[in-house]
Amino acid sequence: MPRGRALPGAVGALCRALPPRARLVPEALRRAKLDRPQATLDFWRLLYALLKQIHGGKWTESDAIDTQIRFVKSALWYHGYGRPELYRLPSDGSAGSRELLLAFSWLLHRMSLLEQLLARNRVRTGDETSVCMCEDDLSQSEQGTTEIAPEYGPEDRVDVRYLQWLNGRLRFQWRSLHAQHQEQCKLLHKIHLLTSGSHVDQILGHFSVTEMDLIRQPESYKQLVQLLELETMQLEAFLEWKQLEPVYWQWMETVLDNMAEEGNMCQPQDTHVEKCRLPKVTSCCPWADSLTGQISKLSRDLKALRDQLHELVTHRKSAWEEKMKTRAEDLQKEDLAATVRKIQEAVELKLLDLSNLCAPKKNKMHGLCRLVYRSKHSASRIGFSRSVSKEPAPAVSATEVIRELQMREASLQRELEQLREECRQRMDKIAEGLDGVICISP
Amino acid sequence: MQELVTSDHASCDFPTAPGGGGPEEGGGPEACGTAGLCSLCPPRRDSQDDEQAKPEASSGDGCESRPSPKELEELELLNRALERALRVRKSISKTPLEIQAAPAEKPADEGPAFESAQEQQVPVSVGDVPVTGEVRAVSKKPASLKKPSPYQLRAPYRTDPDVKKTQRRAPARCVSQGPRTAGKSSSKGVASKQGRSHRPANSASGQQVCAATELQKAPGSSRSALREQQSFSIRNSGGERNLVAADRQLIDAGKKSCGSCGGSSRKENPTTESISGGSTSPRTVTVQQQGCQLQLPHPYRKAYSRNCRAWERSRLCQTSADAAAARKRFTDRIQTTFEFCPPMPALSPAEIEEELKVLQDVPSLLSQYVEAEPADHPTLQREYESLLTLEGLQTTVSQCLHKLQLLQAAVESQMRLHPDCTGDVGSCCPACVPARGRACGTAGTLAVPLLWYSSFQELRDLFALKLRVSMLHQEIALQKLTMTELLPVLESEAYPEASAAQLYRAMYTQLCEGGKRFPVLVRDELAD
Repeated sequence: MPRGRALPGAVGALCRALPPRARLVPEALRRAKLDRPQATLDFWRLLYALLKQIHGGKWTESDAIDTQIRFVKSALWYHGYGRPELYRLPSDGSAGSRELLLAFSWLLHRMSLLEQLLARNRVRTGDETSVCMCEDDLSQSEQGTTEIAPEYGPEDRVDVRYLQWLNGRLRFQWRSLHAQHQEQCKLLHKIHLLTSGSHVDQILGHFSVTEMDLIRQPESYKQLVQLLELETMQLEAFLEWKQLEPVYWQWMETVLDNMAEEGNMCQPQDTHVEKCRLPKVTSCCPWADSLTGQISKLSRDLKALRDQLHELVTHRKSAWEEKMKTRAEDLQKEDLAATVRKIQEAVELKLLDLSNLCAPKKNKMHGLCRLVYRSKHSASRIGFSRSVSKEPAPAVSATEVIRELQMREASLQRELEQLREECRQRMDKIAEGLDGVICISP
Repeated sequence: MQELVTSDHASCDFPTAPGGGGPEEGGGPEACGTAGLCSLCPPRRDSQDDEQAKPEASSGDGCESRPSPKELEELELLNRALERALRVRKSISKTPLEIQAAPAEKPADEGPAFESAQEQQVPVSVGDVPVTGEVRAVSKKPASLKKPSPYQLRAPYRTDPDVKKTQRRAPARCVSQGPRTAGKSSSKGVASKQGRSHRPANSASGQQVCAATELQKAPGSSRSALREQQSFSIRNSGGERNLVAADRQLIDAGKKSCGSCGGSSRKENPTTESISGGSTSPRTVTVQQQGCQLQLPHPYRKAYSRNCRAWERSRLCQTSADAAAARKRFTDRIQTTFEFCPPMPALSPAEIEEELKVLQDVPSLLSQYVEAEPADHPTLQREYESLLTLEGLQTTVSQCLHKLQLLQAAVESQMRLHPDCTGDVGSCCPACVPARGRACGTAGTLAVPLLWYSSFQELRDLFALKLRVSMLHQEIALQKLTMTELLPVLESEAYPEASAAQLYRAMYTQLCEGGKRFPVLVRDELAD
C-alpha cells in the first residue's frame, strides 16, 4: 500500500480500536503533529479517559479540566514517562498537543494500551470469578485508613462490649456470606451441569447464568448483543491497526524529527541539571511515604532474620567443623567429594524453589476468569474432537487455585496465630498487674 | 389457596394440599395455573358427566357418575401438577417484588424451592413412557378432567393480574428458532410432541415442548414426570382455546414470569459475586431437564460467534517484525529525551510497587524455611545439607535486603521527578492510590482465561477458600489495629478501675481467642 494512503488507514484503525467512550477523531492526530492548540483539550480528555480505564477508576466527562490534567500527569509519571515538557504544560489545556501526542504514542507501545483496554472492557457473558486475592493485599498496605476513624477524646468512653458486639456481627455476616456463596455455587453448578453440550462454543460447553437468562428473555439482552457487535467491530479495527502499525510509528518519528528541528532539544539540558540540584522533596507524598514504610518494615524483618540466621549458621558451622576434625581420618577422599556434590545439588534445588517463589510470577493469573465446568470424562472427549490450536488459550484449573489459596490460608493463619500469641504474652504481663485476679486462659 | 401461597418456598415433595384426601397421597387442590384453564374448570365443576373419551377409561362412556380408580389416579396427578404449576407461578410473580428488596437473599430463597422442585423431577433419560396414551387423552379432552367427588375444586385458576398483564404486554414475538408448535401441539396430541422430541429444542417454545417430550421419554413414568407433562400439555391445550396468538402469549407469559425473576441477574458483566441466582427460578427446573438441548437465541449466537472469532484472531495476532522495529526505534528515541537524574532510575513507580509486592511475602517464607531446619541431625550428610541450606538462605536474605535498598533509592529518585505534589492525599497521586485496579487487571492478555473446575466440590471449595482468605486478611488487619489501639489502654491503665477485670476479659477474648472463647477470671481472695 502506498504510504500516502496507508497512514490515514492506520490512524483510522487506531481511532476505531479505542474504546467507544474514549475516542478521538483522526483529524486531531494530524492537528497535534502540527502542535495546534485546538487539539490539546481533546488529547487531555482522551488520555484522562484511557488512563482512568486502566486504573479502574470512575470518571465522567464533566470532570474539571485541571483535575483531568493533574491526573494524567501523575499517571504518566507513575508509569515512568520522563519528558519534562509534558509536566510543564499549562493546566488549562491551552497548549501542548504535540507533547500529548508523543505521550499517547509512548503509552500505546509501553503499556500495550489497546490490548489492555480491550481486555478490560471486554463484554462479559460468562460466570466470572477472580483467581487472585490482590485486592485484599493492596487494601491492607494502604495505611491511609486510620485517618477516617472518628477521633475520640479522652473524655469519650467506648464500651468494649460494643466492640464485642460489632465483632460478633461481623462474624455472623461472614457466615451468612459463606452460606450464600455456597448456595450460589450450587445453582451455578446446576446450570453448568445441565446445559453441558449446548453452547455454540465447544470449549466452553455449557451456558453461564447470563446465557441461561438470555434464553428465557431474549429481548432484555438486546443491549448485550449490541455491545458484542460493537466489540467485534473494535476488534476488527484492532486487527487492521496491527497490520498498518509500522506506518504510524514512522510517522511518529517524523514528529520527533520536527521537534528536533525546532530546536527543542537543547533546552532540557539546563533543566536537566537544574532538576537534579533541587533539594530532595521531603516526604510530602503519601505514595512515597507508604512505600518507604513498607520498605523499612520489610528491611527490619529481613535484618532480624539475617541476624538470626547469622547466629544459627555460625553456631552450626563451628559444630560442624568440630565434627569434621574429629572424623577427618574416617572419611575417604572420593566418597567425600561425591557426597558433597550431591548434597550441594539437592540444596540448590531446594533453594531454587524458594527463589521462584520470591521472584515475580509472570504467568500468574490475575483478575477475572470465566468459570467453566469440565467433568473429567468430557475433558478427554473435547481433546479429541477439537484440533489443537496454535496457542492454547490461557486456562487455570481450580485445583491449582485451590492449592495456592490453601497455602495462602495457611500462611495467613500462621500470621494470625503469631499475633495472637504476642497478645497473649502481653496480656499475661498485664494480668500480673491486676490486683486480686487470676486469669485462667481457656 | 391460602395454603398454597404460604407453601411457596417451602420444600415439600408432594403438595399435601388441604381440603381433600384422595385415594393416594392426599388430594391436591386444583391449581389451574393458566388463564386458559379457566375455561376448563367451570365445566368440570358444573358437570360430573362430561364427555369422557379416555381410552383407558374402563368404558368409553362419559357418563360415569363415579370415576374409575385409574381416572382418579390420573386426575390426582393432574391436579397435583396444576397445583404445582400455580405455586410456581405464584412464587415467580412474587419474586420480582422481592428482587428489588433483597437480591442477595434470592439464592437462599430459591434454594429450598429449587431443591424441592428438583427433587420432584425425574432425571432425563430416554425411554418410552406408557403414559403417552393418557397424556393424549388428557390433552384432547381437557374438559374431561372432571373432578371426582372427593376432591374439592378450589378456584385458584384465576391467574395473577401481574401475569395477565405480562401476557398482554408480550409482543407477538416470533422466536425465530423453529415453529411455534407449542400451542398447536396439544390439539394434535402426543403425536406431534413425539415428533418434535427428536428435533433439538428451541429456547422459547422448545423449552416447554421439550419438557413434555423429555418427560415422555422418561421411563417408568414417575408421578412427577407425568405431572409436569400434564401441566404443560394442559397449558398448551388451554392456550389453544383462546385466540390464535393466545398460545404464544401463554408461553410468553410463562417465560416472562420466570424471566421477571431472572431479570435481577441481568447484568452485563455478571461476576459470580453479584449473581443473585435470580435466574434460577423454580421454573428452570424444567429447562434444566433438557438443558443439553437448549440453544441460544439466534441473534446472540451470531453475535457471540463473531465476537469469539474476532477475539481468537486478535489473540493470535502477532506484532510484525516491522512494527516491532518501528516501535522500538520510536521508543528509544523518545526515551533519550527523558530526563533522569543519575543514577537513572530504571524503575518506574509502577515497577517499584510491583517489586515490592513480590517481596512482601519473603520474610515469612524464609522464616518458614529456617524453622524447617531441625536442630539435630541423625547423619553427617543431613547436617551438612542443613548447613548449606541455612547458608543459602543467608545469601537470599542479603540479596533481598540489597534489593530493598535499590528500591528505596528508586523511590527517592522518582520523588525528585514527581510532578507538583501538594501533599494532600487526594491531589497528589490520584494515579497511585487506585493502583489496585491496575494490578489486578487482565494484564493485557487478549483472552479471558478460563477457570476449569471438575466437580461441584471443587467449586464449593474454591469459593469457600476465597472467602476464608479474605476473612483472614480482614482479621489480621483488625487484630493489628486492635492491638495498637487497645493494648496500650490496658497497659497504661487508663481506664476506670472498677471495670478492670471486665475490660481485661473482653480484650483477652478479642485479641487472643478471636472473640470465641473466654478466659476465666478468678478472684484471688486467698492472697492474704
